[in-house]
Amino acid sequence: MNLSYSDEQNMLREQVLKFCESDYTFDVREKIVESNYGHNPETWKQFADLGWLAVPFSEENGGFNFGPIELAVIFEEFGKALVAEPYLANVVMSGSVLESSSNELAKQTISKIIDGTTQVSVAFSEANNGYNFHDIETSIEDGKLNGVKTVVLNASFANSFLVYARNGDKPVIYLVDAKEAGVSVNSFSTVDGQNCGDVTFENVEVGESSIISHDNDASQAINAMLDLANLCICAEAVGGMTASYLKTVQYTKEREQFGQPISNFQVLQHKMVDMFMEAEVSKSLLFKAMLQLDGKDDEASKTISGLKAQIGKSSRQVGQAAVQLHGGMGVSDEMSIGHYLKRFTVIDALFGNRNYHLNNFSNL
Amino acid sequence: MDINFSDADNQFRQEVKDYLENKYPKHVKEKQNNGEQLTKQDMIDYHKSLYEQGWAGYNWPVEYGGTGWSPTQIYIFQEELGYANTPTILPFGLNMVGPVIYTFGNEEQKKKFLPDILEFNTWWCQGYSEPGSGSDLASLKTKAVRDGDHYIVNGSKTWTTLAQNADWIFCLVRTETTQKKQEGISFLLIDMKTEGIEVKPIITIDGDHEVNSVFFTDVKVPAENLIGEEGKGWTYAKFLLAHERFGIAGVPNQKYSLKLLKERTKDFADDDLKKKIADYEIELLALEFTELRTLAALANGGHPGAESSIIKIKGTELQQRLTEMYVEAAGQYILPYEGPEGFNSNNTPASNVSDFSSQAVSRYLNFRKTSIYGGSNEIQKNIIAKAILGV
Ligand SMILES: Cc1cc2nc3c(=O)[nH]c(=O)nc-3n(C[C@H](O)[C@H](O)[C@H](O)COP(=O)(O)OP(=O)(O)OC[C@H]3O[C@@H](n4cnc5c(N)ncnc54)[C@H](O)[C@@H]3O)c2cc1C
Repeated sequence: MNLSYSDEQNMLREQVLKFCESDYTFDVREKIVESNYGHNPETWKQFADLGWLAVPFSEENGGFNFGPIELAVIFEEFGKALVAEPYLANVVMSGSVLESSSNELAKQTISKIIDGTTQVSVAFSEANNGYNFHDIETSIEDGKLNGVKTVVLNASFANSFLVYARNGDKPVIYLVDAKEAGVSVNSFSTVDGQNCGDVTFENVEVGESSIISHDNDASQAINAMLDLANLCICAEAVGGMTASYLKTVQYTKEREQFGQPISNFQVLQHKMVDMFMEAEVSKSLLFKAMLQLDGKDDEASKTISGLKAQIGKSSRQVGQAAVQLHGGMGVSDEMSIGHYLKRFTVIDALFGNRNYHLNNFSNL
Repeated sequence: MDINFSDADNQFRQEVKDYLENKYPKHVKEKQNNGEQLTKQDMIDYHKSLYEQGWAGYNWPVEYGGTGWSPTQIYIFQEELGYANTPTILPFGLNMVGPVIYTFGNEEQKKKFLPDILEFNTWWCQGYSEPGSGSDLASLKTKAVRDGDHYIVNGSKTWTTLAQNADWIFCLVRTETTQKKQEGISFLLIDMKTEGIEVKPIITIDGDHEVNSVFFTDVKVPAENLIGEEGKGWTYAKFLLAHERFGIAGVPNQKYSLKLLKERTKDFADDDLKKKIADYEIELLALEFTELRTLAALANGGHPGAESSIIKIKGTELQQRLTEMYVEAAGQYILPYEGPEGFNSNNTPASNVSDFSSQAVSRYLNFRKTSIYGGSNEIQKNIIAKAILGV
């Protein structure tokens, strides 16, 4: 067993960290969030130039063939800096679905994601099925696609959608251009400053040629995407928790009340120790999950489910304590600290919340 | 001991129900029940309707225009209002500065301020906290220097709730630098229209504008606006804080929200959430009876003291837990969030829980404040440890 990152992985971390510290300060981030739903085309171009958009793709598709460990490294750093760019929606989620397909359309789409010229979102959630992601109503009949997808991440900027639909009772994933007749997008900002949307498909003509995968492969692709996406946002939460406790320690050392730094008060010290411990045990479980997923271990899905449940609890505790220890400053939108709490809340809600994953874990 | 209400109490309850049915302004009711934000005018209309009913001073003595109700009646009143999902009665005038004025103010001050407070002609805000003085309130630095028949006030207050709407602010100011920092503090009433006052919004993490910074530059305040004695402000402030903590738990509102949550989750397969709701409800019952026991002690001549800290801590913890369960019940549908005002009615997300979800998020984030303000929960625990446990 070896639980150390490779030199290459450490270099990747350094690179992301350096970028965040110099080009993605909290002030910069806030401007992007306020003006443009969390996405800045120039930042995205930088991601492309740095090669980050190619990270998880196979070499034959023009990628670096990196796996879950490298993605987790990137997301941990993104989590610390509250990066709002649609990396999850494009590179991880759409990337995972496209990479699982071997057809030419998937390959072409991947190359455009890598060079940053297109954005793609997976449209799988629906309004009434909660976390039962395979229980879908969107369907295809006589070559026409009908249905409504909701909470589609980054819907505002997606040039096309990977639509999870039923053909009779068989699952299928289509690639549908956002400009196709009958496609309409209704965008909303999300609580954490990104965007999601409802995507409605009304008699949209789709042919064989736009199928990315079908039958068992399609549902497998969705499951694999969910596992990888959950792993990535858990890594992001670990980064966010680390930043939260570090910033809180810093703040309490500087904030004086009763003639002394409030970090002198033992009850606050213990709270910060709890925050630190939650971040560390979460990181431990993240290690196990990413190594299992990397090794294609049969248990990986179960561990990821456990990780997601753990993160739901830990990140909530850490996020709330961070706000509490900042006093009024904690609830002020100007400080970064409350934004971690918001991101944690969204992370828990995405792809099965804690309650869902506790059930899932005990049934797997 | 008797757990039942008397016939007179039941009759009183009916009166409150009648008010809610017939006099509680319809436009306010509608917005409240749709979860829409209220305007300043809506709040004024609501408070004025209570005044017209003779109930604005629901916890004031009769001699100052209050109802003189017994603690049980106050309890019933608040319970019915909570069940009807009415807006929170703004505490700044009625529960804070009002009682300070009728307890410590002089006759002129009583005449000048109390009727307008009851009638809700003046909107008050609370100027205690400062950037450097939160938990350690007594360290406050905003200075008031006597100059003939005026004070000249300089300094800044922060987190001032709804100062953007306020006509008046009651402030703790430093009139003297003393060895013991509590001793140089005075309690001053300031007209918000006075030259030299500037209000700047602070946006909170739910996106709302509820709190503000208030800056004072050479603000001239008539000396007659000083309450009680110079240097005794801390005593009045402590009196007020004990009152402020009372009722902060919002048990009736929690019961209303609980009912909605149960309706929403009735058909959920999620047993864990149901158990959590039950666990919460049991604690709410315990809190309610803690409050009732305190009220009974009050009726027998006690006054709210450190016990109100228990209610503050437990009440706010439970409120926060309730908001967490709302978020859990909404699942992934919490993501679309356009701010505390909710969705534009012709543009809501395609989920049958979209309004519920949006309010869930808004409240979850907003209610983080409850364990911070009114004396943070850590400070409350310090108080209990000292005052009750004697450690
Ligand atoms: C939404 C909102 C509305 C408000 N409205 C008003 C208003 O209308 N008027 C007004 O005057 N004020 C208002 N306040 C201010 C509120 O009273 C203060 O925020 C509160 O007193 C805490 O002070 P602080 O924010 O400076 O935090 P700090 O005092 O800096 O505290 C930071 C952390 O340290 C902890 N801490 C501090 N001292 C101790 C100690 N001795 N032992 C253990 N822990 C300690 C605190 O519990 C907290 O967790 C409001 C605050 C909020 C958030």
